[in-house]
Amino acid sequence: MKKRSRVTRLLVRAFGDERRQAFTVPVFAVVMSLAAAAILLLAIGKNPVAAFRALLSGAGFLPKGSYSSGKGIFTDLMTTLSSLTPMIFAALAVTVAFKAGLFNIGVSGQMLFAGFLATVLVGYSALPGYIARPLVILIGIAAGAIAGGVIGLLKYRFNINEVVSSIMINYIFQYVIGFFILTKFVDPVTRHSKAIVKAARLVPSGVQIGRYKTDFPVIVVLAVAASFALKFFLDRTRAGFELRAVGAHPKAAQYAGVKVGRNIVLAMTLSGALAGLAGVAYYLGYYDSITPKALSSVGFDAIAVSLLGNSNPIGGLFASILVTAVDRGSTYMSSAMNVQREISQVITGLILLFSACGAFIRHLVNRAREEDK
Amino acid sequence: MDTVIIDGLSFMMPLLCIAVGGIYSERSGVTNLALEGLLGAGAFVGALFVAFFGKLFPETSSAPMYFAMAASVVGGAVYAMLHGLLCVKFRANQVISGVVINILAVALTTFLTREINSGVFQAPSDKIQLGVSPRFDVPGLSKIPVLGAVFKSVYPFQVVILVVIIIAWYALYRTRFGMRLRACGDNPHAVDAAGINVQRTRFLAVMISGALSGLGGISFAYSFSANFSASIYVGAGYLAIAALIFGNWKIVPTVGACLLFGLARSGGYKLVQLLALPSSYSDLIMILPYVVTLLLLIFFSGTNRAPRALGEIYDKGKR
Repeated sequence: MKKRSRVTRLLVRAFGDERRQAFTVPVFAVVMSLAAAAILLLAIGKNPVAAFRALLSGAGFLPKGSYSSGKGIFTDLMTTLSSLTPMIFAALAVTVAFKAGLFNIGVSGQMLFAGFLATVLVGYSALPGYIARPLVILIGIAAGAIAGGVIGLLKYRFNINEVVSSIMINYIFQYVIGFFILTKFVDPVTRHSKAIVKAARLVPSGVQIGRYKTDFPVIVVLAVAASFALKFFLDRTRAGFELRAVGAHPKAAQYAGVKVGRNIVLAMTLSGALAGLAGVAYYLGYYDSITPKALSSVGFDAIAVSLLGNSNPIGGLFASILVTAVDRGSTYMSSAMNVQREISQVITGLILLFSACGAFIRHLVNRAREEDK
Repeated sequence: MDTVIIDGLSFMMPLLCIAVGGIYSERSGVTNLALEGLLGAGAFVGALFVAFFGKLFPETSSAPMYFAMAASVVGGAVYAMLHGLLCVKFRANQVISGVVINILAVALTTFLTREINSGVFQAPSDKIQLGVSPRFDVPGLSKIPVLGAVFKSVYPFQVVILVVIIIAWYALYRTRFGMRLRACGDNPHAVDAAGINVQRTRFLAVMISGALSGLGGISFAYSFSANFSASIYVGAGYLAIAALIFGNWKIVPTVGACLLFGLARSGGYKLVQLLALPSSYSDLIMILPYVVTLLLLIFFSGTNRAPRALGEIYDKGKR
């Protein structure tokens, strides 16, 4: 047995067994990345503690120094929840594909497709809210499922790598939808698509609650429910087990009688449906219009967020909260601390970078545990 | 017709350079979705060189451009070491590492561009101006009808990239190093048994892909955008990945794929011009390369085969 320093032994003990590591390793990655961010902040001459406080204040987890009328920590928190919703759905979309051994890099494109269809079909109609909102959600699910399913089908039928087809389809959506927005639905002032009617927006804005005027993202409940539902589906149902079997070892799954092709299409359809939900929560919830010829970064960030959450739906929930909080808090932090707004993306990038090393940390810890036995 | 060929080629060459970088990495067994970030990080380092030392050169000199290209090659290779470290040493999932490297590159380069512009040059701007590279005609050859356009209004970087690609092709298919690199992607255990360090070879391959991506990136910066800013991240890296998979992870077919992308792009623009359509229609034409790729893939990807050990972490003990 090798001699180890006291610190290493303590660290190895703290990481715990395989089960505990699912929790401790991501936490360790986050701590490491915050430390790296603190060093970066120190290097440009800012106080990291004050910066992180400002970050949390901006996201609505800590009170700010002052608020304008009708605003408060509650309104900030509601805005954060509103922007959290698409991230949760998108991370789930990545997770379900990943479990089947697929990489859905087309989440952003599927989001755009679903958001655009829902905007055009319902967003400008005169339907009352209790019909319009469920309809928006249904259209989001259906449109996303189709867009995702096609990628699965292309993989199954024609052996087209899903990464390539998603990238191609991302571009096609981006340009075609951009064309329709700019020629048919453009708002001449903002150069975005025209704002949707209030009744169709999944996140009602300007709701009076107490003395606050706030966004009210009830839909976040749906996102949390979807996380638990997906967890149940993957862990406790036969279809979920088959899907994971295909991801773990397609040949073994096939030998055991699992239909690999059908599961690939199923996984991509499910993933697309979740991406579609992310799309309507983003374009018809957090925002109320679509920027033409641009993909949102949510779909790409979600890939890394899903990993930070250990490719586990519930873990993804926590990872989404963390990344969204950093993103939402950055505007306030940049004005309060006088740093560039882009620093939030750098912090997010660092968190994701360290979490990508999770497998290595786990490997080191387990090797140390083996040797200590 | 001339403009189609000229514009098509000036888009194709940087794209090809990035794609060949991707081939090096993927043939060695390391999935490289990080090309987008690598090209940006490389171009950023090149642009930094111009921002700091550009003034030392006479106004009309194109020497800074060549130095910037060299700096980009180094910058891309150094930044790629991060991907190499994560994938080869730290056993990270390679696709995820690629995505993370992209996110970090976009964030870091835009953050640093602003920080350096306001901190060092007292000019709050999110760009580093580079200008457009001069062009030249090859004497004699450019007079040939139609095909002469290939030699007309050539950017110097196109020539540099051409030479680099030829060397890259030779190194990959005709040298011992290239053979070992390709073997690392197909059967790393055999390579290991032959006494070659799989991890070092892969690390080197990732660095080469960074160097080539950096060269491609700075070429885009010197032609299409004329500056370095976040606008360099328009997805050329992802397009290069599509091209190399379309090219079945081989250099020569990938040349064809990139040529197709380049010509479909410039041809589309020309078509919009000829039909005198409103400019918004150019967006519809812009999907041409992607639709064509998807259709061609439907017919030809039955025989597509990725390197066998692509994306797998090399584990000596595993059989």
